[in-house]
Amino acid sequence: MIEKILIVDDSPVSRKIMKSCIPEDRGYDLFEAGDGQSGIDKYQELKPDLTFMDLTMPVMDGMQALQEIIRIDPQAVVVVCTADVQMKTIFKVMNLGALMVVRKPINKQTIDEAIQKAEDKLKNTQQ
Amino acid sequence: MDKFESIISNEELDILQEVMNIAFGKASADLAEVIDIYVVLSIPDIKLMKTAEVPGYIEAEIDDIENISIIKQSYTGKFHGTALLLFPGGAGKKLFSLFDNNGADVPEGEGLDVMGERESLLEVGNLLIRTSVSKVAELLDDVVSYRPSRIIVESKAGDIVDWDLAEPEGPAILMRTVFSFDKRDISGLLFLIPSYKSFDWLKKALHAFLQQYE
Repeated sequence: MIEKILIVDDSPVSRKIMKSCIPEDRGYDLFEAGDGQSGIDKYQELKPDLTFMDLTMPVMDGMQALQEIIRIDPQAVVVVCTADVQMKTIFKVMNLGALMVVRKPINKQTIDEAIQKAEDKLKNTQQ
Repeated sequence: MDKFESIISNEELDILQEVMNIAFGKASADLAEVIDIYVVLSIPDIKLMKTAEVPGYIEAEIDDIENISIIKQSYTGKFHGTALLLFPGGAGKKLFSLFDNNGADVPEGEGLDVMGERESLLEVGNLLIRTSVSKVAELLDDVVSYRPSRIIVESKAGDIVDWDLAEPEGPAILMRTVFSFDKRDISGLLFLIPSYKSFDWLKKALHAFLQQYE
């Protein structure tokens, strides 16, 4: 079951939009990071159940951060959330171990579907 | 940036940056589909300056301003202004090689290479510029139309501002991203320069964009 969600995105507006699309009534604890390296640091500190990861970010981009998080924790559930929806990008991040890719601009429905998919993966992992 | 805060606030800049991020992402995905290439995008950024400073700023951004190809396109709507796509010298030939040009008609007196380069520049320019601008407009609940695009080869930077859409001493918002084509040694810069006449609308539209999530 998802309790902690980490949002990694350099844009404060994008993080605000993401938070508004995550259902408030489910009581998730939400955490934020503003670049890939901070995302890794927060991941290690918090061990979130689900991470939403942007790709184009300063300091360390989301592709590298995803790779590092999966190296640290092969069971990590990471949903890539990006405006870069080139097929090669999707192929790369899925190969790196992302659960799925959500295309920006996001909305409540796409984020709810991503959370549901993450819940399903966590259940399967626990069984 | 402080002196421009009355023109556009930091919060509005953040929203605009996110809108640009989505728009440039869509443009690169569309281009990647057309020419089967991986487009690497930089983080888009925004610069505020006097319009009269724009040519000098762009000139300083380009290593070889004497040998660049510029695709320039004006767009009109509530969101209106000028878009510029700048490629360093020689990019036209490299772009031409990305397209299948078999059977292209070449008017008399024009070499295939020149025509091909121009068409390739226009093709890439129209796609990147129109997809980006249309997506910005769509996200901000507007629809834009386009004037015919122009190619300016081996230009001086002073040619690039549409002075009928600008006021030299007035403010300019430069929305900029750098893109490159993976493994092809081609890179360029895309600038969107909204007219100062659309600033009031732009500010309201940016807040409306964010409000839909509040």
